[in-house]
Amino acid sequence: MSKISRRDLLQYIGAGGVGAVGGVLYGESVQRNVELLIPQVVPPDDYSPGVASWYNTVCNQCSAGCGISVRIREGKAKKIEGNPVHPVSQGRTCARGQAGLNALYNPDRIRTPLQNAGQRGSGSFEEISWGDALATVGSRLGRLKIENNASRVRLLTGRVRGRLDELFAQFMGLLGSDHYQQYDFTYPSALMAANKTSYGTDVLPYYDIKNATFVLSFGADYLGTWISPVHHSLAYGHLRHGQEGRRGKTVQIEPRMSLTGASADEWIPARPGTEGLLALGIAHALVSDGRYQGSDRDEWSTALAAFSPARVSAETEVSDDKISQLAREFGASAASLAIAGGAAAAGTNAVASVVAVNALNHIAGNLGKPGGVIFNSEQAFSSAAASRPAGHQGVLDLTEAMEAGDVEVLLVHDANPVYALPENVRFQQALQNVPLIVALSSFPDETTEMADLILPTNTYLESWGDDVPDPGVGFPVASISQPVVAPLYDTLSAGDIVLSLARQIGGELPIRMRWGTMEEFIRDRWREEYNKRESAGEAQEFEAFWQASLEAGVWGQPGADSGGNSVPSTSSTIASIANPVSMFAGGESDYPLVLHPYLTATFLDGRGANLPWLQELPDPMTSVVYGSWAELNPATAAEMGIKDGDVLEISSPTGTVRVPALTFPAIRPDVVAMPIGQGHKGYGRYAGDRGANPIHVVANQIDTQSGELAWAATRVKIKRTGEKLQIIKTDGVTRTLGRQILAPKNDHG
Amino acid sequence: MSTFVEKLRSYRKPGYYDEFDYHWTMTIDLDRCTGCEACVVACQAENNLPIVGEERFAQSREIKWIRIERYWEGEYPNVKMGFIPMLCQQCDDAPCETACPVYATYHNQDGLNTQIYNRCIGTRTCAVYCPYEVRYFNWFTYTWDEPLEQQLNPDVSVREKGVMEKCTFCIQRIRIAKDNAKDDDERRVRDGEVVPACVQSCPTEAMVFGNSKDPGSKVSKMMKNPRGYKVLEELNTSPSIVYLTKAHS
Amino acid sequence: MSISVLDALRPAKKPALLTLVLVIGLFVGAWVHGKYLSDRSPVQPIDFSHTIHTTDNEIPCQHCHIYADTTPVAGVPSVSKCIGCHKSLPDVREGPEILKLAAYWENREPIPWIKVHDVPDFVHFTHKRHIKAGLECQECHGSVETMDRVTRVVTIRMSWCVDCHTEKEVENGRDCWTCHK
Repeated sequence: MSKISRRDLLQYIGAGGVGAVGGVLYGESVQRNVELLIPQVVPPDDYSPGVASWYNTVCNQCSAGCGISVRIREGKAKKIEGNPVHPVSQGRTCARGQAGLNALYNPDRIRTPLQNAGQRGSGSFEEISWGDALATVGSRLGRLKIENNASRVRLLTGRVRGRLDELFAQFMGLLGSDHYQQYDFTYPSALMAANKTSYGTDVLPYYDIKNATFVLSFGADYLGTWISPVHHSLAYGHLRHGQEGRRGKTVQIEPRMSLTGASADEWIPARPGTEGLLALGIAHALVSDGRYQGSDRDEWSTALAAFSPARVSAETEVSDDKISQLAREFGASAASLAIAGGAAAAGTNAVASVVAVNALNHIAGNLGKPGGVIFNSEQAFSSAAASRPAGHQGVLDLTEAMEAGDVEVLLVHDANPVYALPENVRFQQALQNVPLIVALSSFPDETTEMADLILPTNTYLESWGDDVPDPGVGFPVASISQPVVAPLYDTLSAGDIVLSLARQIGGELPIRMRWGTMEEFIRDRWREEYNKRESAGEAQEFEAFWQASLEAGVWGQPGADSGGNSVPSTSSTIASIANPVSMFAGGESDYPLVLHPYLTATFLDGRGANLPWLQELPDPMTSVVYGSWAELNPATAAEMGIKDGDVLEISSPTGTVRVPALTFPAIRPDVVAMPIGQGHKGYGRYAGDRGANPIHVVANQIDTQSGELAWAATRVKIKRTGEKLQIIKTDGVTRTLGRQILAPKNDHG
Repeated sequence: MSTFVEKLRSYRKPGYYDEFDYHWTMTIDLDRCTGCEACVVACQAENNLPIVGEERFAQSREIKWIRIERYWEGEYPNVKMGFIPMLCQQCDDAPCETACPVYATYHNQDGLNTQIYNRCIGTRTCAVYCPYEVRYFNWFTYTWDEPLEQQLNPDVSVREKGVMEKCTFCIQRIRIAKDNAKDDDERRVRDGEVVPACVQSCPTEAMVFGNSKDPGSKVSKMMKNPRGYKVLEELNTSPSIVYLTKAHS
Repeated sequence: MSISVLDALRPAKKPALLTLVLVIGLFVGAWVHGKYLSDRSPVQPIDFSHTIHTTDNEIPCQHCHIYADTTPVAGVPSVSKCIGCHKSLPDVREGPEILKLAAYWENREPIPWIKVHDVPDFVHFTHKRHIKAGLECQECHGSVETMDRVTRVVTIRMSWCVDCHTEKEVENGRDCWTCHK
């Protein structure tokens, strides 16, 4: 063994030391951070750590009124599913419903009351306290009331139902203003008006798709956007394979294939604006071939005389044979059902078109029977059942009043008319004449940006409320909306804001509106309802009823007839048969294409655009994400030399939008379709500045009978700008190329 | 040495179990599917899928454990669209399993093709081997804009940059169902007790999930439907998902 | 004359030895860190003694850790639970540590205990299953009943979990997805 020199020894010690220090440092670096173990101060009764609990409430992403269950872990909402005992959703939800969590936890939520800190519309706001905000509004309203000028106060809301609607109405009534109106772009105005004509009721009937064997839809995208998509989807599944040995058939008539059209057995692209005419052609064939044997057969024959299949065929561009075939199938099916919606119910002929479709149901004897049109009672659950109209006429009146300087205070709740109205309604310009605009909203949007004062509201997952679904489900039913999490920020529910304002204003308001909170109000009303039904009505019993209703999220009487199911006579429908052809804004020579704006299953009328899960959800028909586009038939595009991604200038007689082109195989060559939903200017980071809003270029055409916006009655011209824009889509090859993807190989041939 | 090689080979053989404990299986009826994509959002919510942003989408780096594929047939006006939900087929002879150099993806006793994030080193070989293209790679560590992270499901890991991920048939829900069954006198999981998020949400009830080893289960009955087929069956991957093709009235 | 490989390597011998010593040093350092320097026994906001509660007063574990046999989480007792006893029993109302507890209760503030046993986020662990399987708390946590300040006696690593699962022949106990999530 050789000697180790002193120098070497020191080197070895040094190396060992450096190694040891390195080892300690390594150990330190991989050590996990100190984590805390935070106990509850006082645990809630139903608390179990690491175990989820579910709370039932009502979805507010559209007006269907689906019951939902929200999964809560440690006080945070984790997942939304359908409430299995709710008769509308039956445990299911759509994409929008589930994205409600993005609304609750949206980073762009308004967290405190804000007041305008600059030019109106500049978007600069400063925080103020709730006390100051409520005092400002309350004193202004109080003064107007004392001066007998309360009619200069207007309240505009989105589609609000149930007790919140009642509260709004009561508040405005006591204030002395009868100007409370709602606006919802998706509100089925024409359907309401036509049904009023045909059936004499304001309550939507129940369209029993579930038990139908032949569904003939004129433009109604009932699986994606029309009225109650989740409920209709459940029904559709049943129609297809719910019964042994029977598969229902669906036919869709629309100029551009919708989600529903894609699932239909037949897709018929009739000429836009002639859908009602086609219905009359089918009706004519039904009556003339002797299928209809009612006592009023002659009256029908006379009323339908002008609509022979030959004439209808020429105008609708649907062949004679096809019309006869549809009439045959419609008449011969065990349970046929005709429905109308979407663009077919948004022309200048909207009401006449829906009446024509109603006529089909009359003639085929589909009223009041399973698989047909079933009528709901107005008395399903108190007066709250009949919902308030939320159509276009109300906002036009409001705009006029604002222009005339008749509006001093405008309260806006949960509505975005600046986005969802055609530009030539000039709503935004009219807002400049209003001295005080107060917005009640959870999110900044194009309308809150114009406000002087923003009162931030709870989202629906943090609020009390109730709802009677419209249309109902054939028996009395009502849902309770309850907070599933504590409010995240310094916000109040819209109901609580109204109650606070009532206290601010004083006088008889706080006496008549005596409830401290919205929760108290809902309980009080449900107690009344309970007492009305159960004659005993002891407090103890109500408490049990209330707890049970809260737990279930819904109250209902399955089996009980809602009492509205008497079949209306045909006379008023016959009397209202008119030529249902839509008139378009813009001449055909200058504006060769028809603009077909359509609601999307993701954003609906644009309200879903601030939810990131929906922005990242590929469009069901095109797989496009994060943007908007204009769909053209490949033949039209080829003719004009347009390729995917070419930015087009789409001009209507009233405006222009710029948007990239996308060829789409299932659209008429004379139509250009654009999804509604993008093109926001101030709706948070996810809606961003992306895409274009087709509603803005829609001409302010009005349906002659209902006064509603004919949003599918505008012609446009398109021009290539020479620019290119990448359309982001997830689809690659969209043909199966003989591979075993959609069916076993031998089926492909 | 040779026994070691044999053992290695036997592990390399996908589906080396003689018999599965449960065999989780799904059927999807394309005649009910409307392409509404409720399942896609349900999966995103349940499994902590990231919000990747527009730029990443443009680079095809999105992560969707289930997606709807669409296929056109014919030309205007006789044009038809076919939707098909595409997710990990949980193949019993999974090509991806043979590819992984570190055994990060393997078959478990329940017939599930599983992915262990901690073991994955990100070679992305499995994604190349997968004929269904349902494996997704985390090119980045994604973050959630505050307070969106409050929604994250605590039963599911949030994945980081450099690992592969894919559909698990909502294994966390299977785990909860098994846990409840064990509490209940160590019984077996009953039919209908496990419902993956996509199946739960489906508004047309197009999807059915269950244990195909149980002949009485709903999924076993659905599998016998004459419309049943497996996607790209000729590749012999033995998928655990049976599709029912569209019917005609 | 032959050429020795060893001779050729001689100039490399010393650097190689130095590296070896360095590596050994690294391991020693890491071990020392793990054994003596890492905080297996953190100082808690209140000097709570399990010895007093469990051994001296014979309070069973699950009297306070009430969720252990029913949920994944054993549960640290709520402040109301602590104060419940300490308020009602006259001889445990005073004392500096108990006054700290009282202060938390007065302010309705939770006590920020420091975790001693921390399972990573990607692991699914449930107390319920382990207790129902008949494990004693001490098998993983050590003799907490004799600790004045809780000390972690085990290193929570996958091998430790798997060894036990293997030894006890847990059903599917070695499937990755039994524990990973």
